[in-house]
Amino acid sequence: MTRGLILDPTASRSDDIADAGPDLATLEGKIIGFRVDELWRSWDWVAEIWAQELERTGAIVKFWRAGGRTGTVGERVIQELDAFTDTLDAAIVGMANCGSCTSWTIHDALWAARKDIPTVAVATRHFEQLAANLAKRGGRSGLRRYILPYPLDILQKAEVHDIARDHYRSFLRTLGVRDRLAVEPAA
Amino acid sequence: MELGWGDGLPLVPPTEARVRMHISKSGRFPDEVVAVLLPLRAECTVEKIAINAVMAGAPAESMPLLIAAVEAMAESKFELASLNATTGSVVPALIVNGPIRHELEIPFGAGCLGGVAGPAPAIGRAIRLLMRNVAGQVIDVTSQSTFGTPGRVAGIVFGEWEEKSPWAPLAERLGVPGNAVTAYGAMGTANICDMIGNTADQFLQMIGKSLAYPGANGFLPSSQWSETLVAINPVWAAVIGKAFPNIQDVQEKIYQYASIPIDFLDPVYKEPIERIGRLKKGRVHLIQKPEEVFVMVAGGMGGLHCAMLHSWGTCLTTTKPVRMP
Repeated sequence: MTRGLILDPTASRSDDIADAGPDLATLEGKIIGFRVDELWRSWDWVAEIWAQELERTGAIVKFWRAGGRTGTVGERVIQELDAFTDTLDAAIVGMANCGSCTSWTIHDALWAARKDIPTVAVATRHFEQLAANLAKRGGRSGLRRYILPYPLDILQKAEVHDIARDHYRSFLRTLGVRDRLAVEPAA
Repeated sequence: MELGWGDGLPLVPPTEARVRMHISKSGRFPDEVVAVLLPLRAECTVEKIAINAVMAGAPAESMPLLIAAVEAMAESKFELASLNATTGSVVPALIVNGPIRHELEIPFGAGCLGGVAGPAPAIGRAIRLLMRNVAGQVIDVTSQSTFGTPGRVAGIVFGEWEEKSPWAPLAERLGVPGNAVTAYGAMGTANICDMIGNTADQFLQMIGKSLAYPGANGFLPSSQWSETLVAINPVWAAVIGKAFPNIQDVQEKIYQYASIPIDFLDPVYKEPIERIGRLKKGRVHLIQKPEEVFVMVAGGMGGLHCAMLHSWGTCLTTTKPVRMP
């Protein structure tokens, strides 16, 4: 049998930050920003419940809605993202619930994480692996990710609100909060 | 194949000699970085293009076209990262203009979207292998495409029948005269047939109304754009061109006809469409503005059919010159 040398058609990126970044030590007085999108009402519904809970424990909550990614609109959206993340002590970025929106969610979460603020990218279960892959390809495999059930977008508002409440404490732990509220089991 | 380098079809081994021949036809240095491809964010060098072109069976002479196509797809406005990750079935269609169509035997007549024996499928496949091996688009790893599309195997590579067009070539209208490649984010191809109409307006009505199916991405409130590509057969093009020698008039007509009454949809869809200002006089247009209609001439002299390629809605069409060495 003849053997020959063939060349490798692939390319790869080798740099990576495996660290999750800083924890959010406490919620009191911290400015926590939710990046929502134009796609998922279910993420709006989760975010509104989590925002209420965060405000109840003394955090200041801000929202920013991401838009298109190309052309002049895209340039404006990136400027807004940059300005928004500049004002935050922590960023909650969602929602990775389709292919392209996972790409945008991870992009925006990496943008926040590069500013060395506690950052969580929120994905649904089906898109968990994609979110992990894109974070690694973005050079930060350690990016915190919080996973919500799938499918979420075909549920009714009350059902999504219940899911948001059920997941709140676990979400806080992903953010790095280690106070009583996050650590103790829900009553 | 075991290393995950392939698409399941047989591959030509990329030996050093074959790859060197391809690089020599590019007129570039092998380590020259053509672009960084997303989502892997890896550097796509001339050598990587050559290796994947060899594997796909693409001719060495297609290297300048492949390089230009990579440059076009890597433009930030093309949004390759999300295109390669989406649940949608989008694939970059490559439309070739200029004399290079003849030199590379890029089909623009009968069967141009598939079926013509020639190098176009291998050229398209080379791009698909680059997406896999360099950009990192792999199903269930990065790509979440629910269905995919046959175009993700051998691409969609075809030319414009410029010699039969009553209008300037597509690439020239997009700012690049001569040899050029246009990358367009296509959700596949679909057919429009009309065996009754015999006027320009009737043809344009049939095209516009056929385009406006409710599930098209252009109707999604989240779609930033709704570019639409229409390939008109040369027989219809002659009729339409006589009535509308100005291409802007053709674009306007198609834009106007490609709309549906909002009441055609369930009421739940009305609020988001209204919120972003796309409800006009009780109708919603598939295409947001006439300039987003891309019209070209292609297909066989049998006429009767027109090809519509809906866009995905995020990427903006990009045209690059093909620079021969």
